[in-house]
Amino acid sequence: MSRTPATEPQAGEFLVLIPAFNEAARLPDVLRELGTLEQPHRVVVIDDGSRDKTAESARDLGATVLRLPFNLGYGAALQTGYKYAHASKATLIVQMDADGQHDPAFIPRLIAPIREGRADLVIGSRFARDSGYRMGWLHTLGRLLFQRIARLAGLHVTDPTSGLQAMNGSVLELYSGDFFPSDYPDVDVLLEAFRRGLRIEECAVEMRPGQRRSTLHGGLRSFYYVYRLTLALWAGARAANPR
Amino acid sequence: MQDPTELERLRELFLRAPESRVTSILAIALSTCLLLTVLYLVRHRRLREEYTPIWVTLALIVTVISLRLDLLRALTAAIGAWTPSSTLFFLGELFILWICLNYSIRLSRHTTQLKNLAQETAILRARLEELTDASETRATGAGR
Repeated sequence: MSRTPATEPQAGEFLVLIPAFNEAARLPDVLRELGTLEQPHRVVVIDDGSRDKTAESARDLGATVLRLPFNLGYGAALQTGYKYAHASKATLIVQMDADGQHDPAFIPRLIAPIREGRADLVIGSRFARDSGYRMGWLHTLGRLLFQRIARLAGLHVTDPTSGLQAMNGSVLELYSGDFFPSDYPDVDVLLEAFRRGLRIEECAVEMRPGQRRSTLHGGLRSFYYVYRLTLALWAGARAANPR
Repeated sequence: MQDPTELERLRELFLRAPESRVTSILAIALSTCLLLTVLYLVRHRRLREEYTPIWVTLALIVTVISLRLDLLRALTAAIGAWTPSSTLFFLGELFILWICLNYSIRLSRHTTQLKNLAQETAILRARLEELTDASETRATGAGR
């Protein structure tokens, strides 16, 4: 199949960032679904060193593909998209997962607060309203713990690990920094954005059962998750108040 | 329980015990081997020059200690250890801890640099494709 010519970036664009790792099977459906989005947009797929045809299938469906030379991790792949969007002077950015977990039908609702100038960052939350989404007890425990920590700092978020988010250009510079985690951005990143004065809102969304995040908080990884996040929050607080 | 004076006398005995010549020779041989290995690795471009000072310094310190065991004995007495060998183990452990931490710091820095480079590569590759496609489109349009 011939390659769809890449589109030249234009300042003020609306970009949809999709980090993908070995998602050749599910990504085309996500891209086709995105095609039904009314707002003019450009899809940027960040291929995180996939061994399958993720990059080719994305390109064939007209997406801009940022192909990482090797696997860097979900966070680093996402950050590649932020850096690209920042360099392209994009003003509206939506990030979503490549596994079909996120429904593009929620995007208009997600970007509305940014378009109206009410928020800099909008998180698509599974828990802002009971959407029936269920996850493991360890994941739930970790989520509640860090939600409480964020609340102590003044940030009220119910779903800090959500991969469905919308933001404006002012978030991009911050998210392009070296503090951004290579594995999974979480409440630590949101708290940093909050400390910098960015306005964060949540928008209730429904999500389909996903694949990627189901294994994130299982077994020993749950403990590592709690440990890493605690350390990141402490380091973030230290950076904000060096004394 | 042992009498403290008796224990102190015992410690004095340990501290004054003469080291065998073989120990000194072995230590000098090991430090020489370390030095030669470092030089060999540098010569064959498997170790960068900037990473050698630590190992050369270590080899020199071991050589000096092997030749002047009285220095080691004085250090043993100063830190309250019983035998020069336990002082050596203690210093060795400290050295290993320090070097592990040092390399973890370097590794963290290099990981960030590598990540940034990989991201830059991906972005530049996409930019190149965009520019190539745009110039091809322009060339096709001009040819018509």
